Amino acid sequence: MIDPHGLRARARVLAAVRRWFEDHGYLEVLTPTLVPSPAMEEHLFPVAAADGYLRTSPEFALKRVVAAGLHRVYEIGSCFRDRERGGWHGREFTMVEWYRAGADLGDLMDETEQIVAAAAEALGRPAPTWRRTTVRDLFLEVVGVDLAEASASDLSPVDEGWDDAFFRRWVEDVEPRLEGAVFVEDWPASQSALARVRPGPWPVARRFEAFLDGVELCNAFLELTDPVEQRRRFAMANAARAQAGEHPHPTDEALIEAVGRMPTTAGNALGLDRLVAALEGWPGIAPGRVEHPAWARED
Amino acid sequence: MYQTFDIRKGLKIEMDGAPWVVTDFQFVKPGKGQAFTRTKLKNLITGNVLERTFKTGETLEPAQVEEHDMQYLYSDGEAFHVMNTETYDQLAIPANVVGDQSNWLVEEMVVKVLFYKGLPVSLELPNFVELEITYTEPGMKGNTAQGATKQATLSTGATVNVPLFIEQGEWVKVDTRTGEYVERVRR
Repeated sequence: MIDPHGLRARARVLAAVRRWFEDHGYLEVLTPTLVPSPAMEEHLFPVAAADGYLRTSPEFALKRVVAAGLHRVYEIGSCFRDRERGGWHGREFTMVEWYRAGADLGDLMDETEQIVAAAAEALGRPAPTWRRTTVRDLFLEVVGVDLAEASASDLSPVDEGWDDAFFRRWVEDVEPRLEGAVFVEDWPASQSALARVRPGPWPVARRFEAFLDGVELCNAFLELTDPVEQRRRFAMANAARAQAGEHPHPTDEALIEAVGRMPTTAGNALGLDRLVAALEGWPGIAPGRVEHPAWARED
Repeated sequence: MYQTFDIRKGLKIEMDGAPWVVTDFQFVKPGKGQAFTRTKLKNLITGNVLERTFKTGETLEPAQVEEHDMQYLYSDGEAFHVMNTETYDQLAIPANVVGDQSNWLVEEMVVKVLFYKGLPVSLELPNFVELEITYTEPGMKGNTAQGATKQATLSTGATVNVPLFIEQGEWVKVDTRTGEYVERVRR
């Protein structure tokens, strides 16, 4: 169903976000949608196309751009994730992704606040007031469990791995109670993907996610710049995929090489469809998108 | 066996030794985690509601339930006798299964009876029923206050709040899901 009001709201946000990046010295880059190597994360399922894949995010290409010396870049475009369909998920969706050399996660939280405020202003809505917390504090607060000491069976009644048990509690108890605008930092190291890890008694991934009234808006990394560690993580993800009966993915050698040349960089990937929907208070992303009715969903 | 992608509103599943129907569902997937489907489930026997989350890859067992259209014949005080409209088989449904729905049961009404493992466990009535008012206080002439109501007793013995202008002997339409008066009907 096509919703003219929804499409106007989306266009206003798109223009405001682009203007923010222009005003802050970011270069807009359009990288290929069709790529030879997809994301490696265990729970991302790329759409196969031609002799490659449709990108699940522009991350690998943008990192090669940063390594080539362009230190503030952004891209807005379609990304594709198979097996993700629902009120807040489309197999095709619009990503806003940006990288800034020399920045840390605190800088990216500030920028995220500004971008969300600019989008809110474009919609004539008040900018949200943000709270910053950690995954561990949230679990203590909501579930009453210290993640640093919890085993999988402390987290889930089902016999499953630690990360699945963690996400079951997250999905059932934590995320539904995230009210307002919240940054959640310091995720379990096992979910670090392409982020640096801070070692310690409970090592954590140097990344944050932002939530607006329980809707996950973005995922930011303090980027890994160690090619050896990057290769090891890709190998682990492929091993996990093989164990789950899925095909391994080809490793992006150009990306691994670029990671080694990249300065300290922080990057953030934000779902534009969700940003518009969460600010407008819609029940899902549909009003801002032009979906074919043949693929409509009821949830 | 159902997979999580089969989950839809109205899907009936077997869980913890009882049949459940999905009343609401939502696909959820944390950025770095497994996909799940959050569901709201209603117990088809007790009506209890609970939330349950299924991880993609988990399987759900279909509930061993059947639904048949049955016509209500009569009550003998302990059971409500009905007849299958296709096979003409007669069946006595215990009063405790019918519960408060007896307030809206009238002879010849066709209801959907849910069977779990061969036994009748619940009834689904038509959304609306027309019933005669057997007793209510006379309406006060000239009282046109908006929304003012009074109690009325129906032919089934149930009571319902009706507007003041409704008189004894008239027929009214009632919503069987809420027990609320809908409108006056001419018979």
